[in-house]
Amino acid sequence: MRILSEVGVKVRNRRAIDFFASVGCKTADGRVVIPESAVTRAISQTAKQVPFVASAGEHSFTVDAGSDGISYGTGGQALYVLRRREGKFLRSSADGNDLREILQLCEGLQNVDFITRPVEPDVDAENMDAEKARIFAANTSKPMNLANLVKPEKLDEVVEIIGGRDLLSFIACLVVSPLSIDDGAADKLMTIVEHDIPISISSCAQGGTTAPLSELGELSQLNAEVLAGFVLANAVKPGAKVLYRGIPITSDLMKDGSPRWCQPDSIRRLALAARMSRSYGIPCCGTAAVSDEKEPSAQGIAEKTLSWIFEGAAGAHYINSALGMLEQVLTVSPEQYVIDDIILGQIKEGLSGTSPEDLQVFAAASAERALSTFGVKVDDDIRREIGSRIDFIYDKKEQYTEENAEKQFEAVRKACTSSMGSNVFMKGSRRGLREGVLYQGKRIEGDLDFSVVDAVLAGSK
Amino acid sequence: MSKDDILAQIENTIIMGHLDESDEGFDGDLEGTPGTIELVEKALKDGIEPGKILEAFNSAMDVVGKKFEEGEYLLPDMLAGAECVGEAMDIVEPYLMGKNEQKKGKFLIATVKGDLHDIGKNIVITMLKGAGYEVNDLGIDVPVEKIVETVKEYKPDYLGLSALLTTTMIEMEKVIKAVREAGFEDVKIFVGGAPTSPEFAKKIGATEHCYDAFEVVEKLATYKKAG
Repeated sequence: MRILSEVGVKVRNRRAIDFFASVGCKTADGRVVIPESAVTRAISQTAKQVPFVASAGEHSFTVDAGSDGISYGTGGQALYVLRRREGKFLRSSADGNDLREILQLCEGLQNVDFITRPVEPDVDAENMDAEKARIFAANTSKPMNLANLVKPEKLDEVVEIIGGRDLLSFIACLVVSPLSIDDGAADKLMTIVEHDIPISISSCAQGGTTAPLSELGELSQLNAEVLAGFVLANAVKPGAKVLYRGIPITSDLMKDGSPRWCQPDSIRRLALAARMSRSYGIPCCGTAAVSDEKEPSAQGIAEKTLSWIFEGAAGAHYINSALGMLEQVLTVSPEQYVIDDIILGQIKEGLSGTSPEDLQVFAAASAERALSTFGVKVDDDIRREIGSRIDFIYDKKEQYTEENAEKQFEAVRKACTSSMGSNVFMKGSRRGLREGVLYQGKRIEGDLDFSVVDAVLAGSK
Repeated sequence: MSKDDILAQIENTIIMGHLDESDEGFDGDLEGTPGTIELVEKALKDGIEPGKILEAFNSAMDVVGKKFEEGEYLLPDMLAGAECVGEAMDIVEPYLMGKNEQKKGKFLIATVKGDLHDIGKNIVITMLKGAGYEVNDLGIDVPVEKIVETVKEYKPDYLGLSALLTTTMIEMEKVIKAVREAGFEDVKIFVGGAPTSPEFAKKIGATEHCYDAFEVVEKLATYKKAG
């Protein structure tokens, strides 16, 4: 709360500033400082049940903040689609035809509970929202999350095309870390909330570049960012249907700073973010299984399996981007959707019945089973690597002390008031990197058997 | 402290990425001790030739670069060293006026309109300054008009454009078109950012695509050699 009440969030959107002011927030030097009372009120007011309605009624579900039910869906804004042709994967730029194909494929996959936009149609900004809505309306009967709304003024048209606002939801990537509210995203959030449509408030901090590498520091900053969104949404409309989507991943500072979405350090932080959301008693949009692999692989299967399990066990209600994703949200693959659907089918039931004490064993067994399903021979080396990853997910690498909290607070404050905030975080990561904050393990290798995948894809056409 | 001692300490602070007294440095234990900034200020005050100070910068960055290549140093260590040199150069520069020390080139850089992301851009800036380039940073969310106006005034040798969003990378093409239509055919335009690619760069008429800051520095060096 100190981050919000002392550092605040950078806001340029005039309408958003006015809404923040209406609930007791003050503005100074371009930053809105948010008192704890405003956060507490927003959490108290925000909707605790969020319905996701499908045009085919049997697919409808409700996210209930007080329950442990999990729904899994797609996600993205991938630029590329990867397809297997004659034993090799070929990449092409994504377009409207790919969106249609993916929607049709996911319509038939049993473990896709909702569809979030995986790729955008290749039309100009003026026509993007309507065209996407048309493709969705014609190709899926599951709850629809269009994710982005390019032009807020197009929302009424989108609702009409879809057939009713109840059938729709969105995602607002509201905050650019650290603690800067995106102007356009704020407009979209406010418009969508005003229309009483569900929306996930998202922040994707990257430890080491846009947030502290420290787990305590990153989670603190991320929490502040998402809660700022809750304050804004409930200022616009008390009882807003918003979900908490904190995506605390790490940056691969051992190499080039690129994001690490599915390594044990990120899996742990994503799970902790879900736990934070649940501790407030608010609906949680999780993120899982966004593989760092460039194509379907044994490594990808193992890391995705662990990611689903720990995000689900942490209590995420609505797990976005859970199928089909590769290369850190840049790529999707029909083959990967099918692989992910099969594995999710294997773990879902077992996960709900697994106690916390048995979770590690369940996770290891699930990863081994998933690999075996696709023809990978699981030997002792692979078992050790899976075990090592699970151990890392459980390992708290730093002390959550007052001293550490103060240090992380100061790092966030310095980064927010510096013109080169990312440098502050990168330089501050040097000791943590040497202390092993980022997991450095071995790749899990093995050729995949795609025969089941090929059969499913052939049957889906 | 002798002049040689000061120069040796300047080198050491750069190698340790210890910018100033408030900076924790390589191992996190250097806070409170003089950093590069304090030592460079002392060096100039004590009458050490600016050229000798630049030699210390170059020597230190050679060590940093070698440690990075050998895997002893990671990206943040490289960045910290480059930042020390970049910031210290701003202090030394006025003492070089009229002398035969030249920047390697002028680099104008911006994150395009609609995009607030600047991680990659900031790394590029730091590395370029550390490598001896003059850098003018327009910041984030920069409209086409501002970039073109600055190109006219600043006359850079190079223009760098960064975007992290698929929705904003299309802005890059508008910038390139506007810069060329304004008559600046000779400015070398570099583009980068996660959604960009060499194919995209070629399509929009950029001179170069770079995956990271190191590639920017490497490609710039080829222009200097060719020039």
